[in-house]
Amino acid sequence: MEDKLKALAEEARQAIQQAADEQQLEQARIKYLGRRGQLHQITQSIGQLPDQQRPVVGQLANKVSQQLDQLFAQRQEELQTQVAEAERVVQALDVTLPGRAPRVGKRHPLLATLDEMIEIFLGLGFTVVEGPEIENYYYSFEALNYPEYHPAMDEQMTFYINDDVLLRSQTSPVQIRVMENQSPPVRIVAPGRCFRRDTVDATHCHTFYQLEGLLVDESVTFADLKGTLEVFAREMFGPQCHMRFRPDFFPFTEPSAEIALTCIICGGEGCRVCGDTGWLEVGGSGMVDPNVLEMVGYDTEKYTGWAFGVGVERFAMLRYGIDDIRLFYSGDMRFLAQF
Amino acid sequence: MRVPYKWLQEYLNVDTSLEELCHLLTMGGLEVEEVEQWTAEDGGDSDEILMTVVTPNRGDLLSMVGIARHAAALLGSTFNPSQVSYPEIEQPVVDSERAELGPVTVEIEDKVGCPRYSALLMEGVAVKPSPDWLRYRLEAAGIRAINNVVDCTNYVCWELGQPMHAFDFKLLKDGHIIVRKAEVGEQLLMLDDTWQVFSPEDLVIADPMGAVALAGVMGGADTQIRDLTTTVLLESAHFDPTTIRRTSLHLGMSTEASYRFERHVDPNLTLPALARAAELIMQTAGGEIAQAALDAKARDFEAKTLSLRPERCNALLGTQIESKMIAEYLGRLGLRVQEGARLTVTVPTFRPDIEREVDLIEEVAIVHGYDKVPLTIPSHLTGSGRLTREQKLHRRVGALLRTGGLNENISFSMMHPRDLDRLNWPQDASEREPLLLANPSSQEQTAMRTTLLPGLLEACSRNARHRVADVALYEMGIVHFPTAEPGLPTEQQQVAGIMMGSPLTTQWNLPPEQAEVDFYYLKGLVEQVCQELGLTKFHFARADHSAFQADRCARLIFGEQPIGVLGEIAQRVQQAYDLPKPVYAFELNLDAIVEQATEHRQYQPVPRYPVVRRDVAVVAPDTDEFSAVRLSAEIRSAGGENLVSVEPFDWYTDTQRIGEGRRSVAFSLTFRHADRTLTDEEIEEAMEQIHGRLEQIGGQVRTE
Repeated sequence: MEDKLKALAEEARQAIQQAADEQQLEQARIKYLGRRGQLHQITQSIGQLPDQQRPVVGQLANKVSQQLDQLFAQRQEELQTQVAEAERVVQALDVTLPGRAPRVGKRHPLLATLDEMIEIFLGLGFTVVEGPEIENYYYSFEALNYPEYHPAMDEQMTFYINDDVLLRSQTSPVQIRVMENQSPPVRIVAPGRCFRRDTVDATHCHTFYQLEGLLVDESVTFADLKGTLEVFAREMFGPQCHMRFRPDFFPFTEPSAEIALTCIICGGEGCRVCGDTGWLEVGGSGMVDPNVLEMVGYDTEKYTGWAFGVGVERFAMLRYGIDDIRLFYSGDMRFLAQF
Repeated sequence: MRVPYKWLQEYLNVDTSLEELCHLLTMGGLEVEEVEQWTAEDGGDSDEILMTVVTPNRGDLLSMVGIARHAAALLGSTFNPSQVSYPEIEQPVVDSERAELGPVTVEIEDKVGCPRYSALLMEGVAVKPSPDWLRYRLEAAGIRAINNVVDCTNYVCWELGQPMHAFDFKLLKDGHIIVRKAEVGEQLLMLDDTWQVFSPEDLVIADPMGAVALAGVMGGADTQIRDLTTTVLLESAHFDPTTIRRTSLHLGMSTEASYRFERHVDPNLTLPALARAAELIMQTAGGEIAQAALDAKARDFEAKTLSLRPERCNALLGTQIESKMIAEYLGRLGLRVQEGARLTVTVPTFRPDIEREVDLIEEVAIVHGYDKVPLTIPSHLTGSGRLTREQKLHRRVGALLRTGGLNENISFSMMHPRDLDRLNWPQDASEREPLLLANPSSQEQTAMRTTLLPGLLEACSRNARHRVADVALYEMGIVHFPTAEPGLPTEQQQVAGIMMGSPLTTQWNLPPEQAEVDFYYLKGLVEQVCQELGLTKFHFARADHSAFQADRCARLIFGEQPIGVLGEIAQRVQQAYDLPKPVYAFELNLDAIVEQATEHRQYQPVPRYPVVRRDVAVVAPDTDEFSAVRLSAEIRSAGGENLVSVEPFDWYTDTQRIGEGRRSVAFSLTFRHADRTLTDEEIEEAMEQIHGRLEQIGGQVRTE
């Protein structure tokens, strides 16, 4: 009986281990371990054994049954794992297919550049203000110390709605609106859209963006203007970038300075973009003219200030290597989705 | 201005290279844009020409002598005007308004337009072509040579900066010059063979018969110097810049003379210029000065005296320039300086732009060199910079739309009213009455935009032309409306978006109809904009808007106020813009939304007990009365306080399954109690209530 049991155990063990799939394994289970299986048959015949043999064989049968159950479970898991792995191979992903997450839209490169410029001045403690795009003649010219019929009006090339209402040709009117409503210290930047009757080509457009800056306080100097804009240039384009100041004329500043930036294309060596000068003109600046301060009621002996205005397009074109200003207004998805 | 270098060097001792000189001038306020290599047409001469750009305040830099004076100040070298020689002329006959001598009478009627008029009579001249040296000078400067007399006056204009005119004296009636305003409709054939009709704001030089020249702009053809001319009257006058500029602008005539007078010519230059011109004419055309010059002037033109505090100068510039140095800089510019605690500075009449202490400070900075002013950071920059509330909220809306897949676009603020025809915009809408430009620069853009949609549709159309059929764009910008009251027009911040095709994701395993955007995607964006800004009391209602497809358009309404529109663009508009696929667009009044926005968010405790979910499907007539929002409101009100959300998840119409004119809407309901788990009985009771309510209002609850 014992031998028979051991032989059966060995046979069943082999059948279980050699089962190639779950179906064969199930057949082996039914044959050996099932309710009508061979092990069951032997166990049932234990009762017919002599008394002293019964416990020994009984224990052996139990042990064989447990071992085979364990072996069966083990083999079943092995086979399931194999199957799962086999299935996984079938469902492998082509990880090179493009993702399907929604495409995120992009900030317009011109406004992204303006954001960057504003961030720098926010960091320097300037507050951002905005003014109307359509302005009165007074704020646009008179309060900015433009004499009537002055040649300085030529470069403004203003669009008019009527004699008194016009599309602002620069962001400078915001200076006046702010100073009329606030006592010094004043420390603002004013971004915005401006308009001039310019013919549209690769480098000119009748619509453009400016960032205006104004600082008025006690003992503000021209050296402060230079230092602040130098910081701005470096923050914007890196430590190798500098600002150059040279005399210019604006009715609302005295002294006045044109501001130019180290050509970031050639690093100041001279190239086609900068007309071999190594410098790129980016805007105008100067010490606020006493006439302007007087008109808003500031004490011109006590307070001095500086202002600047820079074009945003130039910065954006340099930043991204854009060579045609018209692209900004193209609405072209192939352009806008690049940034 | 074209500045021939050899000519300039006659008045300037230069010991630096031309390149260095150009750099110095550019950094000293006279920009040299480029240096041109010039060779005379007949090859007889060549020179290098400095192409300068003069700022509008510096009329004094429009002459060789003026440039040389400024360059010498910058170089610290000597200004050497000795080349400019003047013959002896007798003391002029001076009078305030009417000077007479011999056959010549000069009479100033308009003393504002012409504060000074000097004239000199020359006899016995022989008009012929100028000698080579003179022709080359003028050719290098870009002036056409005419004859020796005219060329000499032009030479003096370039050399000293005084525009002059030469009349054939015998053709002036009675030898009588009158400077007056033109009469209405007065006409004159000009030197350039054009007829000009003047108005009373124009200043003319006339004889008793009528106008003979347009003052400060151009002479007349009839009295010009011709081959047989022997007696010449030279005019050297000072005209008011504003008067000349108005005439130049309204007649559209800009000449070398008007350009200079607009920028102010030294009023004390009239007599030296006459003498200089006479000398050159005698050299090149012979003849002689007939009599003393006549000098009619309304007043004397005195040098100004200003005072300058050196410490104020340094305080403004942020420099430490010694008082002595300041005086030297100003002296180099031709200003006379008396030193003291304050500098007393006499400003000659050739620098009318220097009127105040601050103007002197600018001159100091220019001669000192802007690049030598130190770089400092303002020491008093304390506190932090801020964006305004509006700016912050605008940024949030933009960020949200980008997350929703829209790319930011900008388009022009100008449009043409007929753009709204193309868009089939409602005829009676306020957008149809835009603000018009008085002087548009293009016939396509004559008005200010009243909606952002034309710009976005146009962008969509351009993309389609480039075979880009998947478009997702938004724009935040200002639109303008006229106001009835005087003052500025209304500016309103709008946000608009447009979508076409399947721009949101790649399509590799989605059927096209699932990848393409639709009304509900667009609406989802609009809802999220409202939610992002904390709006609560908004809803959508079906709307009629001729730019949009009927039955596929909604208005966004806040309280009672419509604040936006969204929908599928009408088919005829889609065709008008030549768009290959249905287009969905929205436009919202961002100002109205921002005004209602609340940034504050109040924390709600996170629920601790599980939710129970049930579905309910209802078939109802396909009308607005049974809109999803109405059904969901009925379910909410019937479902009791434990019903925390009602979300539609299925919507269809199907004649075969549910009959004609009916639709099925299925809702997913969520029940929850804050403090305990709900029982089945509670849920069943609530569901019974809901079913009852839906049947009661005319719906049919489906229970398969």
